[in-house]
Amino acid sequence: MKSRVLIVDDDEGVRALYQTELSQAGYEVQAVDSGAAAVSIVENEKFDVIVLDIEMPDMSGIEALSHLRRICPETPVILNTAYNTYKQDFQSWLADAYLMKSSDLEPLKEQIRKLVNRGEQLSRK
Amino acid sequence: METIATEKEKSFIPKYLTGALNDLGIGAFALDQNGQISGINRAGREILGLDGSDESAGTNLEHIHQNLAVNLTEARSKLSNGHTHAMVYGVEYDDNHGRPQCLDICCLRADDDGTSEQIICFLRDLRRSHRVSDDELHLRQELKILSDVAAALSSSTELVQLLKVILTGATAAQGLGFNRAFLFLHDERNNTLVGHMAVGPRSAEEAGDIWSNLDSMRLSLEELLDNNQRKAGQLSDGLNELVDDFRIRIEDDSAIGRICREGSWLNLTIDSSVDPVTASVARHLGADAMALVPMVSKGHLMGLLVADNQITRRPISDEAVELLQVLANQAAVAMERARLYETRNQKRIELEKTNRLLAETQDQIIRIEKMSVIGELTSAIAHELRNPLTVVGGFANMILKSGTAGDNQEYLNIIATEIRRAESVLNQVLDFSRASKGENRPIDFSQLVQRSLELLRGRMSGKETPVFASMTDEPLIVYGNYEQLLHAVYQFLKLTAEDLVPPGEAEIRTERREGRALLLIRILCTDETRDKVRKTLERIFSQNRTSQRLTILVAGETIRYHGGNIGLASGEDCPPSLYMELPLMKESDR
Repeated sequence: MKSRVLIVDDDEGVRALYQTELSQAGYEVQAVDSGAAAVSIVENEKFDVIVLDIEMPDMSGIEALSHLRRICPETPVILNTAYNTYKQDFQSWLADAYLMKSSDLEPLKEQIRKLVNRGEQLSRK
Repeated sequence: METIATEKEKSFIPKYLTGALNDLGIGAFALDQNGQISGINRAGREILGLDGSDESAGTNLEHIHQNLAVNLTEARSKLSNGHTHAMVYGVEYDDNHGRPQCLDICCLRADDDGTSEQIICFLRDLRRSHRVSDDELHLRQELKILSDVAAALSSSTELVQLLKVILTGATAAQGLGFNRAFLFLHDERNNTLVGHMAVGPRSAEEAGDIWSNLDSMRLSLEELLDNNQRKAGQLSDGLNELVDDFRIRIEDDSAIGRICREGSWLNLTIDSSVDPVTASVARHLGADAMALVPMVSKGHLMGLLVADNQITRRPISDEAVELLQVLANQAAVAMERARLYETRNQKRIELEKTNRLLAETQDQIIRIEKMSVIGELTSAIAHELRNPLTVVGGFANMILKSGTAGDNQEYLNIIATEIRRAESVLNQVLDFSRASKGENRPIDFSQLVQRSLELLRGRMSGKETPVFASMTDEPLIVYGNYEQLLHAVYQFLKLTAEDLVPPGEAEIRTERREGRALLLIRILCTDETRDKVRKTLERIFSQNRTSQRLTILVAGETIRYHGGNIGLASGEDCPPSLYMELPLMKESDR
């Protein structure tokens, strides 16, 4: 069974890129364009990793993160942003990883792979 | 009563008239055409201060007081020319002994036939004619002294000048005439009187020299006060050594303590009944008797004036001490005024300094605001650019990896490379943007450079950084935003290590130069590569900012916002060099 990744980003191009790249990497990918949509979907579906943008119009990624932690505390979240300043925000510590957006998607894929493996090891225990 | 006229008197005034004029205290004398006194009666000699012999006839006008001589010369000239038959003047002046004189003068031609140019002059001593008593005269003299001293005191707000006036007034023959005077100022914190200045001779021999010299100068008190005020330094070096830093503890049970508390003077002869503190002061000053006068203004003790007649041994009268007290009170008020003036001056200087600091702070706030706006702006731009770069670059990479690029592979490679470069610049801009949020604080410039070097070595992971550093041990404290400056210095060093040095080496050092912290980078290249390095540098630090590299532009602006500068060090024969300078923080602002 494929691992499921949820992409949360208001930029259509980013969603398309991540969806294509991660699908090719063997993941089942679902993408939403807002924090509110992400909160809504995780109430009904289970994901192995969530890739969350921070700067979004209706609900910021940081705010969405606190909801996600309440709804599905076991699902790892990667904060993925254009800014480097949020790394200093203590609320971003709730995330499992913090990555700056880049055209080089290898670091993102590597991080997803690590978190999926960790989740699988935990569920086996 | 003498009524017999001298031979000379006989020659120009009838005998009966000479006696009557002497009795009335009216001086009479004749002036010849050469301006010489050809005959004078006794009253005239007394008024003019000439000696009592007949030899005073023949005295030239130059030998009598200048104020009087001017009038007599003018009268002789006008009468001789026939302009008038009589001239009358009123003259006031201080004589050679500093005594005020007040005369009426009447000059007449001695004949009308034109055969002689002799002028007869009559002098009336108004003090005598008004029957001014000795007491009144004495009072007048005292008032004159006080008035002269008051005028001198009001002419200055400098403490040293005021102290000179007080001491001169107390010791001048034309003033109160004490032999020596010592001035002690009140040190409130330690409740002591501290010796400050003194005037007077150290010995009888010195006194002879000083006093005869002063006497020959024939100065009025006003002139003497003016002279001494202008004189640089102390009035009397030797005697000053006696009081320099000499401290008198103000103790309640001592005579000095009592008069300072009560504000009243003391005319003291030193004997066994005198308390130990006061006796030790007398012993130190070498005085057998002394006048002690506290200087008080509005109930506030300013100091103590001590005067004596140790050289002449003349007894000190209570009247003289009383007058000294009046003088001391005037001086105390002047000193208080000088103190207030000094305080006001200090406040003005402080206010000016505060205003200057305020202006600098305002300037700095504007700069910080500007930097903050730039920070926010760059952050927003970075965000807007980041997503398209990620998407374009990401898809280019994806196609490249898929192997489906075909003929477009070369172009896709260029797109991917340029996107990576753009992302790198974006990261630097974001670093700067993050840095602009920091607070300003004092920074050790050498440590900042050292930290930037460590960062550079860390990021160049594994590669050898061909940069040799030597930091000055002297603390170079600058003021600013640490993160911003670190970013700027880092970019500066990164440029050196990556673009300028290979295949050579660079030598960097920090130093203090003319109130600024300086970072100097010398590129140690070969003769062959020197021109190339120079050209690269000239391009990077081009005056045309649009062609400058973004990181250097931002670093340069950061340094300039902090009041510093970056650029190329000049010198054709020297190795190509870069410099960065920042203003050092003032000690007083730390």
